[in-house]
Amino acid sequence: MIRTLRAYFLSRLLREKLLLVALVAVGAVIWISSFSSRAGLLWRGQKVTTTELKDQDRWLRDRPRVEAAAQKAAAQLDPAKTLDGTRLFTTVRQLALDNGLRNITNNGLTPLGSNGQFSVNTLGVTITANDPNGEKNWESLTNFYKALQTRSPYVAIDQVILTPMRGNSGQLSLFLKVSSVEIH
Amino acid sequence: MCASPLSFLRAGPPPPKVALLPDALFFSRAIPVAEGVTAAEAAGQVELALEAIAPFPLPQLYYGWYWVPGATHAFVYAAYRRRFTTEQTLAWQGAELVLPVSATLFGAKVEPATTVVLGMAEEMIAVYWETPAVPAKVLFRPVPAEATAEERGRIREELLHAMGGTKTVIDLAELPVAEPARNDRELGFRAGELVSRVSRATASSLDVRDKGDLALLRNAQQRDVLLWRLAVGCAAALLVLGLGEVALVGSRAWNQVRVTQVNARKSAVDKIKASAELANRIDQLVNNRLLPFEMIFLVAGDKQNKRKPDEIWFTRISTLPASGLYTLHVEAQTTNTALIPVYESQLKAMKELRDVKVSILPGQGDRFQLTVKFNPEMLKPAPSA
Repeated sequence: MIRTLRAYFLSRLLREKLLLVALVAVGAVIWISSFSSRAGLLWRGQKVTTTELKDQDRWLRDRPRVEAAAQKAAAQLDPAKTLDGTRLFTTVRQLALDNGLRNITNNGLTPLGSNGQFSVNTLGVTITANDPNGEKNWESLTNFYKALQTRSPYVAIDQVILTPMRGNSGQLSLFLKVSSVEIH
Repeated sequence: MCASPLSFLRAGPPPPKVALLPDALFFSRAIPVAEGVTAAEAAGQVELALEAIAPFPLPQLYYGWYWVPGATHAFVYAAYRRRFTTEQTLAWQGAELVLPVSATLFGAKVEPATTVVLGMAEEMIAVYWETPAVPAKVLFRPVPAEATAEERGRIREELLHAMGGTKTVIDLAELPVAEPARNDRELGFRAGELVSRVSRATASSLDVRDKGDLALLRNAQQRDVLLWRLAVGCAAALLVLGLGEVALVGSRAWNQVRVTQVNARKSAVDKIKASAELANRIDQLVNNRLLPFEMIFLVAGDKQNKRKPDEIWFTRISTLPASGLYTLHVEAQTTNTALIPVYESQLKAMKELRDVKVSILPGQGDRFQLTVKFNPEMLKPAPSA
């Protein structure tokens, strides 16, 4: 059959041969271009899937170890002393009030996550120490801080921003990001 | 054994169109050729010898020759152009090869001292090989249409006798016909059991047409073969792409199965990840505490041991989760910029500090930033109230 085709092809006029070759070549180029982009897409997709599967395999394989580590971590804490989001704010507020700091603002609670057994809550609090006596402000904040640290590890400080109040460097504003663990 | 499924891509050309000319119109000779010459040198020697023996100049002849590398003689044949009519030469235009009937047998593999007798209805041709490479003699005898078998036998004997020294005789009753070549590099003819194969290069010297025209014709043929191969290559690529499409569909289905598996396991894996993250966080809360005020005490000093000069005051003190538990960022201002390097060196001398960086805020010479990194081992919680 190929000989017949070849004889047919060779018997055509030069322009017909060129046209035939051009048509087949253009078709091949268009198809190759389309094919390669789709094949590339599939290749990248399957690579992502392979990575995800491997990652999932690793996590599933590590499940006993992770669960044991979580149990061990939770065992370091007394469930009765752990705080939920509301109690976390109440505790911080009470400690502030105990140290003469009355301007307390709750900036919002962010639950970090839960695995069903325990969860971590993160709270933003702004405390303003605005006693006219500047030295007293610093002392109040220091005492509040020390009192807060006694609640560790049930209450932990994640971030601190301390700034003097605008127009009065003796008055201070303390932003705290605090976290607590809650065991269900 | 089965042929390769892709062998069709290598299939040689179809049988060439050949115009066979009567040997009666040609005179032929064996011409010695120097040993070890190239094909081009052999062609030069042949044309020189032909010019010497031919009664007409070469441009007035249709001629060709047969020579193979290593042979010590070539076999040439020539005919006066005017012995062919215009109608005859016009009929050659579509032909790939134009040569005398006897020349189709020159590529046959024969023993030395072999004569091939080609007996046709009205003529009889004998080709004699003294050595197997190149024939030495070609004779032609007309056969009357009404000749009997005895008469034909007598003419045959006469031809064999004229050849002299024949040890093997091969009788052929039919004209050699072109057969499909195995590849693009050769041409083949078959007459009964006898097969004659010649290379394309040799075949072009067998052709009797004008050598300049032949060169053009060969170039056009080479171009056409190239175009054909290009077309076949593209067609093969299309075929491979077709198979690729099938593979692509299969691969897509395979990957879809894996994606389904990933989705099915996602919630379980997310739970494990959350557990790991929480365990890590709890561990951090219990074992690694941020001690911001302790860091401030160390950087600023206390009433008894003041480190920070009174001319410098802090405008913002912060810790950043991204910087870790042991880095303090301080923005400060001073009324005496000369104190900045003094304060910096004082801090750098402290064993509790691992690194101190001071950067003056651009365009504000009295404002600067202080980034202080502490040694974790040296940073201890302050005593409780």
